[in-house]
Amino acid sequence: MSATSKNHVGAGTAIAVIYRLLLGQLLTTGRAIGLGLFGAVLAVVAWAVERSESSDAMLELAARRESAAILLALLGLGAVVPIVTLAFSGGALGDLRDDQTLVYLWLRPMDRWPIVVGAVLAGITVSIPFATLPVVVAAAVLNVGSQMVVAALLTSLVGVVAYAAVFVLLGLVVRNSIVWGLAYVIVWEGVAATFGNLPARLSIRGYTTSILSDQTSVDLEFADLAQSSAFAVLALITVAAVVLATRRLRRIEVP
Amino acid sequence: MSESSVAAGIGADAVAASPPPAPPMVQASNVSKAFGDVVAVSDVSFSVGSGVTALLGPNGAGKSTLFRMLCGLTPATSGSVRVLGRETRTDRDIRGRIGLVPQQESVFDRLDALAFVVLAARTHGVTDPVDTARRFLREVELDPDDGRPVTAYSKGMRQRVKLAAALVNNPSVLILDEPLNGLDPVQRRRMIELFHQLADEGRCLLVSSHVLDEVARMGSEVLVIAQGRLVARGDYRDLRDLMDDRPHRVRVVSDHPRRLAAALVADGLVNSVALSGDSLVIDTDDIDRFGRAVAPLASGLGARLDALAPLDDDLESVFRYLVERR
Repeated sequence: MSATSKNHVGAGTAIAVIYRLLLGQLLTTGRAIGLGLFGAVLAVVAWAVERSESSDAMLELAARRESAAILLALLGLGAVVPIVTLAFSGGALGDLRDDQTLVYLWLRPMDRWPIVVGAVLAGITVSIPFATLPVVVAAAVLNVGSQMVVAALLTSLVGVVAYAAVFVLLGLVVRNSIVWGLAYVIVWEGVAATFGNLPARLSIRGYTTSILSDQTSVDLEFADLAQSSAFAVLALITVAAVVLATRRLRRIEVP
Repeated sequence: MSESSVAAGIGADAVAASPPPAPPMVQASNVSKAFGDVVAVSDVSFSVGSGVTALLGPNGAGKSTLFRMLCGLTPATSGSVRVLGRETRTDRDIRGRIGLVPQQESVFDRLDALAFVVLAARTHGVTDPVDTARRFLREVELDPDDGRPVTAYSKGMRQRVKLAAALVNNPSVLILDEPLNGLDPVQRRRMIELFHQLADEGRCLLVSSHVLDEVARMGSEVLVIAQGRLVARGDYRDLRDLMDDRPHRVRVVSDHPRRLAAALVADGLVNSVALSGDSLVIDTDDIDRFGRAVAPLASGLGARLDALAPLDDDLESVFRYLVERR
């Protein structure tokens, strides 16, 4: 009775195996229906706004662009993108820890960082159709030009990437990552970050809305960072979250 | 070694007469693990080589915690564990030489058996994961083409899936946490045969159980753990002897309990007697002698024996005895 195995598993193989496994584990029917409906609400609200504004012949395009950007920042980047990404990425490794299946990945001759990267990539992949797509559709329905659609696509994508990394980390650090994640999104990003520049700079949303503001030339509150800086900070947040999650995975008590 | 040895044949003379021992495959040195104020494992030391070693202990004794430390899944609060001379918590490559069947039943809920074992093979870097997974599923008598998710399997089938997954990397050390749970008697016998086959190939198998009969059938070296401490180690037969030699407590029901009690004490068959209605509870160091003598004695006294029932003929009482003896 023998099988041939190498001393360890290469990073590329490990990322691919974890990615494929987690795609299947994360995309449950319940999550797909719930988050699909949640994203559809944004498109419906955008449609209602567009209908009401298009009936007002006096409203200028600039004003419509501004209300479109505010709507996308508030409901798209402020709710749909973080909450959808939280629902998927918070459970990417956190669910495995909670349901005691993490042992089947942990006790393997693999480095820890490919496990985290595979989880983040899986979280991003399943979040994009449920987070980015509704934001882009909403931008298109608002009918204020292609620039708004491109900006919606870009900001929601970078938002998903940063949130995915942060929420994978959160899932490894706390139990009930959904509750803690919602507290962060609603209480910190939704309330505290609207009180000034400092709390806004300590939230991912502050950077995604800065990029949206720069891309659309619409002034949004507490979103005055240059988009190049915002991109850099989001990249830094993503890398830092992956590094911390790797460190956490190394030291975790595996049930 | 902090544990007391129940084996007569593992003394210094026996070691001196043998060839130099092979280095231990699994070694725990003064290992303790505390969760807050609760000490799950306390100052445990042992080393084992190839073959089957059973870790015997009641539920909650610390078996799973000890296994988790051996696999590096949780760090020891103090002391050290080594597998093949290496530290499992931090050494990436040694994890490829360990196979673990964890106690928990949970498995990835969307995978069928083949996908689950293929995943294990891929995450171990096995070169032909699908063929290997099929082979080991057949080895544990499961159908690789059964497309049902593993969560739909019976407990016994799930145990066998986990065992197949633990074998795919051709491990040198197999750590099996209650692997016979949920298996029917035929499956248990076959699994025990498989364990022996694996041990004969030079592997080290550590198998936990809280069932003495299972350990008996493994016919192995035994480590006995109770209340987080290693209380005995040795050959299974020595443990069996210990069970027979220790003080026993028996309830005797008779129509003349006082007369019988006095005679038992007078003949030196018992250490103590407690009377309660028509029954006696006796303690004796020599259960065999007591068993042979009590019926003729009662007959000679004209007393009827209505019942003889051992009160401590279970594993828990052995563990209690071992703990109290230390």
